[in-house]
Amino acid sequence: MLDHARIRALLPHRHPMVLLDRVESIEPGVRLIATKAVTVTEPCYRDLPDTAPASAYAYPVSLLLESFGQAAAVLWLHGGRRPDGLLPMLAALRDCVLEHPVYPGDVLRHEVLLEHGGEGVSTASGTTRVGDRRVAVMGSFLAVVRPRTDLPIPTTREDPRP
Amino acid sequence: MTTSRQHLDDLREIVAEVFELEPDEVSDTADFVAEYDADSLRAIEILARVEKRYQVEIPQAELASMTNLLAVHAVLGRYAGW
Repeated sequence: MLDHARIRALLPHRHPMVLLDRVESIEPGVRLIATKAVTVTEPCYRDLPDTAPASAYAYPVSLLLESFGQAAAVLWLHGGRRPDGLLPMLAALRDCVLEHPVYPGDVLRHEVLLEHGGEGVSTASGTTRVGDRRVAVMGSFLAVVRPRTDLPIPTTREDPRP
Repeated sequence: MTTSRQHLDDLREIVAEVFELEPDEVSDTADFVAEYDADSLRAIEILARVEKRYQVEIPQAELASMTNLLAVHAVLGRYAGW
């Protein structure tokens, strides 16, 4: 199992964009099971009005995909020799099917298979479940590494709202 | 024994999948950008699939020269030691 501190050491993402809570099991270079709890305290729910219908609380698909992508990145980077100064970046998705919406209180369970883990590119596939129910099938996640210097990273945390 | 022609046809299948075409629609010399509207992501996808299929590492610096099927075949040949 990898706790959150270890996840943070592997991923360049930071709050509030670390969309992974815990890695339940990992077979390096092969497969991984990771969880992420969806809660109403996440920024995506911050500006919902009291009149929002129940359907408005469906977890954004973009974040669900990103969460799976981060699980795939942990699998790719764990135990590998990744030179400093390179960042993993999601490049292309194929054949991903969202089968059921996800709501606050659900715990996502990503089961990731590393199809190919090269030095510069990787592909992963898998499924996401909530309890016994499969909510998404991920056909192919293609990721690349890019030099950190190519991607400006904010050094201060600022709330852009007035 | 796998011949160069078989490698080329394997690669044709990979390229066709990425561009969502039938293999017989991918010619040996058609330029990926001009003929199939390729962008850098498609090129990386081809590279990833070729690496996986042939268990080789191809530096991304080679992407610039992988402009058609024969060129992909030539790059792969260098790294696969053909």
